[in-house]
Amino acid sequence: MHQRLLSIMALAFIALALLQSLLGGILFWKTIGFSAEQILAHYSEKSFHGLLEVMLPHTLFIGIALAATLHFLAFVQQINTKVKTAAVSLLYPFFLLDQASPIGMMLGVDLFAYVKIVAFVGFELTLASVWVIVFTNTLKELK
Amino acid sequence: MIWMLISLILAMGLSLAAKSIDYGTAPSQWKNTLLGNESEFIDPLSFNDLLLSVHTDLFGLILIFILIASLMVRTSRSVRLKMGFLGLGMISLLLYPTALLAVPWVGAVGVMSAASAFILFHLLMMAGGIDLLIALIGRKL
Repeated sequence: MHQRLLSIMALAFIALALLQSLLGGILFWKTIGFSAEQILAHYSEKSFHGLLEVMLPHTLFIGIALAATLHFLAFVQQINTKVKTAAVSLLYPFFLLDQASPIGMMLGVDLFAYVKIVAFVGFELTLASVWVIVFTNTLKELK
Repeated sequence: MIWMLISLILAMGLSLAAKSIDYGTAPSQWKNTLLGNESEFIDPLSFNDLLLSVHTDLFGLILIFILIASLMVRTSRSVRLKMGFLGLGMISLLLYPTALLAVPWVGAVGVMSAASAFILFHLLMMAGGIDLLIALIGRKL
C-alpha cells in the first residue's frame, strides 16, 4: 500500500512536470510559433529595449531558481556525479541560448531561430527531468 | 535554511494576495474574471492569458513544492503525516492547472476546483513551512 502510494505520487509528479513543459510548448506555439520564419517574424517586430525588458527579469529570476533546483539535485545521493554534471552542463547553456538567441536574430543571424527552438525544447525537457529526479529521490527517503 | 523558509512562507502569502487582486477574493469574482460577465461588461480571460498565468504560476509552485517536500521528508515527523502532506500537496498542485485550463469547457466547476486547489496548496505549503521553521528553531528536526 505504502509502496503503491509512493509510485502513484512519483507518476503524478512526472505528469505535472510534463504538463508544465507542454504548457510552455503550447504558449511558445501560440505566441511565437515553432517555424523559423514565425520566430524571425516575431522578433523582428521587437526593439532591443523590449527584448532587454523580457530578458533581464528572466535571466535573473530563472537563473536563481535553477541554482536552487540544482542545489537540491546535489543532495540526491542515489545518482552519480556524471548525471548531476550533465544536468548542470545542459540546463544553463540551454537556458542562456534560449534567452540570448533573439539578440542573434536581431543582429541578422537567422540561424539563431533554429538555436532558439532547440534551446527552448532542450531547456523544458532538461528542467522537467531534473525536477523528476529530485522529487522521485525525495520520495525514496520516505521508504 | 531558516531564512529560506521565511522567504518561502512569505512568497506563499504574497502569491495568495496577488491572486486575490488579479482574480478576486469571492468565488463569484473568480468566475467573473475567468468566464466574463455580460451584464457587468467584463470580457472573459483569453486562453492565451490563462495559459501564461498557469505556466508562470506552476513554475514557482513546483519549485516551492520541491523545496518544502525535500525538507519535510527528512524530518522526524511520522511517515503517515509526511505522506498525507505530499499527497494533498500533489493533488492540489495537479488540480489547479488542469481545472483552470478546463474552465473554457467546464465553466464554473473548473473555476471552483481551481480556486479551492490553489488556496489548499498555499495553505498546506505555508503550514508545512511554518512547521519546519518551528522545528528548525527548536532544533527538533
